[in-house]
Order: sequence, then structure tokens, then C-alpha cells
Amino acid sequence: MRASLFITCYNDTLFPETGRAVVTLLERLGVEVEFRPAQTCCGQMHANTGFRGEAFSLAKQFVRLYADAKAVVIPSSSCVAMIRDQYPALIDELGNQDLRRDFDALLPRVHEFSEFVVDVLQVENVGAYFPHRVTYHASCHGLRALELGDRPFRLLKNVEGLDLAPLDHLDRCCGFGGTFSVKNAEVSSAMMTAKLQDVLATRAEFCTALDNSCLMHLGGAMHREFAAMRTIHMAQILASTREHPAEVL
Amino acid sequence: MIHPVLDPKLAPPFPKAALPVLRNPQLRKNVAHATDVITSKRGRLVAEKDDWQALRDAASALRAHVLENLGTYLEQFEERCTAAGGVVHWAADAAEAREIILNILRDENASEVIKIKTMTSAEIQLNPFLAQNGIEPHETDLAEIILQLGKDEPSHIVVPALHVNRSQVRDIFARTMHLPDLSDNPQELTAAARTYLRKKFLTVPTAISGANFLIAETGGVSVVESEGNGRMCLTLPRTMITLAGIEKVIPRYRDLEIMLQVLARSATGERMNPYTSLWTGVTKGDGPQRFHVVLLDNGRSDILQRERERQTLKCIRCAACMNACPVYRQTGGHAYGSVYPGPIGAILTPQLMKMEYAQSLPYASSLCGACYEVCPVKINIPEVLIDLRAKVTDQERNEERRFFDPLYLGMRMANKVFASAGRFQAAQRMMRIGLKPLTGKDGWIRSLPAYGARWTMTRDLRGVPQQSFREWWTSRANGKAKP
Amino acid sequence: MSATRSRSAVLGRIRAATTTTPHAGTYESLPRAYRMQGELSSDQCVALLIERLREYDADITECTPDALIPTIATQIAKSGRSILAAPIGLPEDWLVPGCDWRVDHDLSHDQIEQTQGVVTAATCAVAESGTIVLHHGPAEGRRVLSLLPDWHLCVLKTSQVVETLPEYFARCDAPPALATFISGPSATADIEMTRIKGVHGPRFLNVIVVRD
Repeated sequence: MRASLFITCYNDTLFPETGRAVVTLLERLGVEVEFRPAQTCCGQMHANTGFRGEAFSLAKQFVRLYADAKAVVIPSSSCVAMIRDQYPALIDELGNQDLRRDFDALLPRVHEFSEFVVDVLQVENVGAYFPHRVTYHASCHGLRALELGDRPFRLLKNVEGLDLAPLDHLDRCCGFGGTFSVKNAEVSSAMMTAKLQDVLATRAEFCTALDNSCLMHLGGAMHREFAAMRTIHMAQILASTREHPAEVL
Repeated sequence: MIHPVLDPKLAPPFPKAALPVLRNPQLRKNVAHATDVITSKRGRLVAEKDDWQALRDAASALRAHVLENLGTYLEQFEERCTAAGGVVHWAADAAEAREIILNILRDENASEVIKIKTMTSAEIQLNPFLAQNGIEPHETDLAEIILQLGKDEPSHIVVPALHVNRSQVRDIFARTMHLPDLSDNPQELTAAARTYLRKKFLTVPTAISGANFLIAETGGVSVVESEGNGRMCLTLPRTMITLAGIEKVIPRYRDLEIMLQVLARSATGERMNPYTSLWTGVTKGDGPQRFHVVLLDNGRSDILQRERERQTLKCIRCAACMNACPVYRQTGGHAYGSVYPGPIGAILTPQLMKMEYAQSLPYASSLCGACYEVCPVKINIPEVLIDLRAKVTDQERNEERRFFDPLYLGMRMANKVFASAGRFQAAQRMMRIGLKPLTGKDGWIRSLPAYGARWTMTRDLRGVPQQSFREWWTSRANGKAKP
Repeated sequence: MSATRSRSAVLGRIRAATTTTPHAGTYESLPRAYRMQGELSSDQCVALLIERLREYDADITECTPDALIPTIATQIAKSGRSILAAPIGLPEDWLVPGCDWRVDHDLSHDQIEQTQGVVTAATCAVAESGTIVLHHGPAEGRRVLSLLPDWHLCVLKTSQVVETLPEYFARCDAPPALATFISGPSATADIEMTRIKGVHGPRFLNVIVVRD
């Protein structure tokens, strides 16, 4: 099995440990991982802020880059949602039929990280060890756009030593929303405060998710509040073993 | 109290309009309580309905079908309603609708008029117009009375006074109904409203309603409600005027079997609202003997033109989207500067304003998708929000003042950077170096300058790590990486 | 006249906007995969209706057709009311003795307002949602008749009870000109979402279910 890692722009820059964990885990599960250095960004930020032309140029770049990939794995639900939900209309509006055909051919091979592990590799017990109390935050895109369902829970339940703390109001947004967090900073902060209350009430050591964007938001607030909790991408938990525990920052 | 401005032409932009609410813990508590109660009731009732998704599919397809054949159904409605003794008027915009209604009321020599809750009348700002022209409008829905007597504005389309709590209601009623001994018991407050209105129902000979559904097949009109004030207004007066958006039509009587099932559950979390009324033109000996319908366009036919945005008009005004919305939950309705708040308002208002006003509303969302998930007619609100954002950007991007706008500057730069991996890698390095002086010993940034301060006002930001993922990958390939 | 101009302007804009390829399909082809037919037996269906009506605080009595008249008399007596409105087509024998009956020969609103209650028949009842449907025929009365009095005694036959809302619509040979769907007494939750019964419509709903 060969898979190409689309790390996404912000993971590449700000959360390289997530990418390293994905590589470690997938290789442990027997996947031959490749990384195409020409990759940059899926265009979500542009599209969601109203810059359609700019988003389209990045969509085109993505489709061309991965046209021949066997599988593309992306450790960010919102970027996958961007590709699935927004690329078709963008390409129809601004692109051509050839590009649309290439996209349609590529799309079934584009997987969010947990989808890839559970659906493609058909593994739920990845042999991880993470002896901590953890709560799972379902990012809105993972929950509603990708409908990840119980996949993340199935993966976490099989992690040895992990104590999974249920989170109240699981379906409620953390308030990040990309540029929403700065354009409507006050409202975004109010949403974050409400979310953080539920998250901290779990008394977990870690809050995990399949989207570092939510975790950047919640983690930034936790750090500001000196909260006794940290954030960690789920790939890092799943990559963690007794011999090589997760890199916790 | 700050008087909310619900006129998109005058209201401040959303981020600014939200501030007074964010600083008002009582108001936020009232909104959170109300939306919690409705969403949990809705959740329970939707869960017990194993054909819920099939009902949503049917409702969505029916509404889409109506919009594609709107002209045909409206003409059919007009013909049948007229045949049944009703008079159908067409209003291209708010001003024309107001004039039509005023003229009817003048023909009736009306000095006052009783009203069933209708957001459409608020949309055309009917009450102040009637008052200016010497006709006193009396709202009859409990929430609308609270607002009218309290000189407040609706903050929700189904429970318009959800931002007001019982002690505030007590104060308003005690003052305006001259009942100094009134307690804040909701039962007692409701009884006070009943007494206050009973006489109006029996004496005011003209009434105004909205419509939940216009039935093309029969020319009938349907109104759903809970209190019975609607039935009073629809039954007792001599003359009835119904103001309805042109999108309210459904093909056949039978289609109510879909719409009523999804509406009540979505709106108030009930299996069925207490009262649904249906009438067709004029019935001899029963109810108003003069009946007018005003079909209001006011920007709707423009929305119809754009295929992706057309779905906005599928809306049946259940408000499930605002109850589910985490933004609405924090800000309440007034921040939207429109009688249509929440997610549906964020897409409907700017479009009704022909994209000339309310440009901040499409950005008043984190795009979490909760609205789409609960929408009984499956309006993909996030999709429309994103589309409208593109329209706003297209309008603004060539304005000179946008050239140095940090957001536009940033987006343009980011696009150039993302166009090439080389430039991207260079930008990563520059970010690392540039942010280094702002990064604390613990690797976190507590304060960013300029636009970034909007982030760090409540949140820290992790500093840029020493090695990006791509650098790690390259060094690993070269055999130098740490494990 | 400007009204005609607006009519053609609005319709013109609508026509121009809807010339693109339709996606939704014809009316006949629209999906209707929701539950049309109930699954409960007739007895279960009536039991469900009664349960739902009780959730709305309605007062329910069951009886056989033979016992209807005495049941009406008992319910009226129990309510402590005696000035009662009656639709013009209400069966004669339902006008039980001992009451001051005001039969609706064009009663004025004030005359109806002065009654203490009303007795009517019904068209249909939907068990799933606890809904009573009136088409305002001669035995059901004008709309105002079941609106102004504070107490509504409604006589329903089990043969009129269906399980689901679509079953009611399937029973309609032709759409009615007037209809009122009643699902519990008048209520509001406008003050802090606290449900308060009895705002403007009848505050008390009493239903007699006749097993026919």
C-alpha cells in the first residue's frame, strides 16, 4: 500500500509533529508513505473568506499534483471537507471539463487520516500506548461534512492505557472558523470560552481532535488560562507506543 | 438599554453590533436558556420519528420544486383565491406593500388593526408606517406584545422575545397595563395579556396576518400558531389582510402532511403546534367577509435568479437554524441588524438587500454546519454563506481602500506564496524568524501586533517550530533526521 | 394601474429567473418516502391518541355509542357549566336537558362570548400528534364557535381516528375550505420557555371518544 501525505499548509508550518506522527504510524501499519514537496495549501482559507479565484488556483494545483497518486491522506478534516464539498463547484465555475474529470477520478482516493486507517487499512487497533486521560473534540467538519461518526472513538478505545473522557456538547463548535476567529474575534472568543468550559470539565490531561485548527484555538486559550490540559492531534496518540511515546509539547 | 436597530440599511456591522450583547451576561443567559430548551425538545421529537430524513427529503424536494415553478403556482393561487372571494394584490417592494395595506385599511375606515405575528410585516416595517398614518397596530402574540409594549425589537423569528426574562416582562406589563401588583409568575403575566387583548379581539374589525403556507390548488391560506391569538384575528374581524412572501406557496392541500410534520418539530419541538388554521377566500357566515392577500416580492425574485442561492427561499421560518447556531447562542438576534437573525438571516438579509447592505452578515458564522444539519428543508446555509462571501469580496476587492486592508493584503500575499512550494518554504522561514522576537521562552506567543492582535486578545499562539514538516522530511530522506 | 404593473413585473422576473434546467422534477415525481400508513391496530391507535391528548392536559372519556348521551350529560355536569353553545347541525339528542343551550342561529360574537362552553363533533383525529381536525361542517360549527367559549367538549368516534397525519389527508376526498387542527389547548412558551396553558383559545379541552 502506497499513500501520499498531504500535510496541509498550517500543519507543515506549525504542527510538524502531527505529520511526523502520521508517517510513523502509517509506516508501522505497513504503508509506504511518500511526500510531494510541491504541495502547499488546499485553498480553504481563501474559499471560506470569499476569495474564489485564489481558491480555485489552489484547487487546480492540488488536482494536478495528486492526479497519479494511489491514495492521498490528509490529517485535517476541514481541508478534506474543502476538497470534497467545495472543489466541484469551484472547478465547474472557473475550470474546465478536463480538470473536473481528473478531480472526479482523484476524489475517491482522497482520505481523511482516520478514514484512511479505519476504512482503507481496516485497522482499529493500531497498537498504540498512551497512558493518559483524554477527551475527544469532534471538529465540525469531521462531524458534519465528513460524517466521521464513531471512527475516532473506535480508534481511541483501542489505545492501551488511554482513559477516554466523554465531552458534553460534542457537536458544538469551538468558535475557530478560520478567518472568523479574527474577523469576529469577540464572538469567536465567547464561543471558545463556552467550549473550553465543557472541555476542562472532563478533567482530562489531553484534548485531542483530527483537526489542528480547532486545537490551535483551544490550545491557545488553554495556555492563556494556564489550564492543566494540553492539546494533541489524534495521529500523535495513535503513533505513540511504549518504546516511542508521543512527542508532547 | 440600547435600542436595537433592525434595519439593515442603518445597523452597524455584525462584529460591532454583537459587542453590547457579549457584555450583557443576563441577555446571553436568557438566549442560551431558551435555545437550550428548544433544541433539546426538538432533539427528542426528531429522534422518535424514524422517517425524519425521508420527511426532510420530501420537504426539501417539494420546496425546490415550488421555486422552479413559482410563477405557475402563484398564478394558480391567485386564480383560486379570487374565485373563492379573496382579493389578491402584488407588491414589488416594501413601499408598495405598505401602500396597498394602508389603502385597504383606509377603505375600511380603520383606526386600529389587530395583528398576528408576522415577520414579513416587520420586514416591510409596517407598524411604524401605520402609526405615522394614524392607524394603531396591536400585536396579539404574547411575545410581540412584550416587545411592542417594551419598545423592543424581535430577536428570534419564532420566539421573538426570548431575550427578555420574566422579571423584565413583569416590569413592562406593570408599567404599560397599569398593574402595579403584578408578579413575575409567567401564568399571571400570560393572564394579564389575555385580559388586555380580549376586548381588542372582540372590537377591532380589521386584522393583519402573515401566512405559513399559500395553497395553489385551493387558493387557501394556512397559519400555524400556539396561543389562539391567530384564530381570534382570523375569525372575529370583518376584514382580513394577509401579507405573504411570494415564496410561501405550496402546490396542494395534501402537501401540508409534509410541511406541518417538519415545521412543528423544528420550530418549537412539538409533534404539532396547538393550532393550525386554514381558510379559503371568504366563507359566508364564517369569519371575515372581506379578505385580501398581498403577495410580496421585495427582493425575492432576485434571489430566485441565482441557482445556488435560490435554496434560501425554501425556508419555512422554523428558526431551527438559529436555535442550533453557536454564534446566535452568544449574540442573540439583535446583532444581526435585521428582523431575520441567525444563520438564515445571515444569508437572507443581504440578498433581500440586493447585496447593497448587511455585507458583514455572511461572515457572522464559523461555518460549523449545525444549521444545515437541522434545517427541515435542507438549505445548505454554509454553502450559501461562502457564496455570498465571494460576492462581497468581488464587490470590495477593487475598492482603493482595500489595497492596504490587512485581510485583503494577507489573502493576496498568501495566494502568491501558496502558488509555489519554493516561495511557501521561504515564507515559512520568514515567519519563523519574524515571530521569534515575539515568542516567549516557553515557545508561545502572547501578543501579536496589528491584525494578529485580534487573535491574541484572548488566545496565545504557539510559536513556529524550528523545523517544518517538509524540512524534517527532507532531512530524514537524507538520513539525518531524528527518529 | 400600478397594481397590474407590479403583477406583471413580479411574474416577469420570476419567469425570467426560472428558465434554467429544472432539477427538482415534476410534482408527481417528488420523493415521498416518509411514513404514510400507520402500523397500529385500531385499539392501539385510539390508546395512543388518548395518551397524546392527556399529555396536553385534555380530559378524555371513552364510551360506547349507547352511552354517549349520558356521557355528554355527565361531562357537562362535571364541568360545572350550563350555558352552552351548540353548532346548528349538532344531533338533537346531544342537547341534553338541564343546560341553557344557545344553538348557533347566527349568534353574535358577544352572545358566544357569554356562553361557558361549546359541544361539537369533529372530522378526524390524528393519534401520533394528538391532533383533532375540524372542517367546520354543521355539527362542528363555525370557527368562532369553538374559539370563544372557555371550555370545548368534542365528541370523536373511533372510526375517525387515524395514526398518522398523511392518513388524514388520504381521507380527504376534496380539500376543505376551512379547517382547524387542534393539538392541545391554547398555550404559550414565550416567557422563559415555560409552558402556560390557555392564552386565548379555549383553556379546557374535553374529549369523548365513542367506540363505534
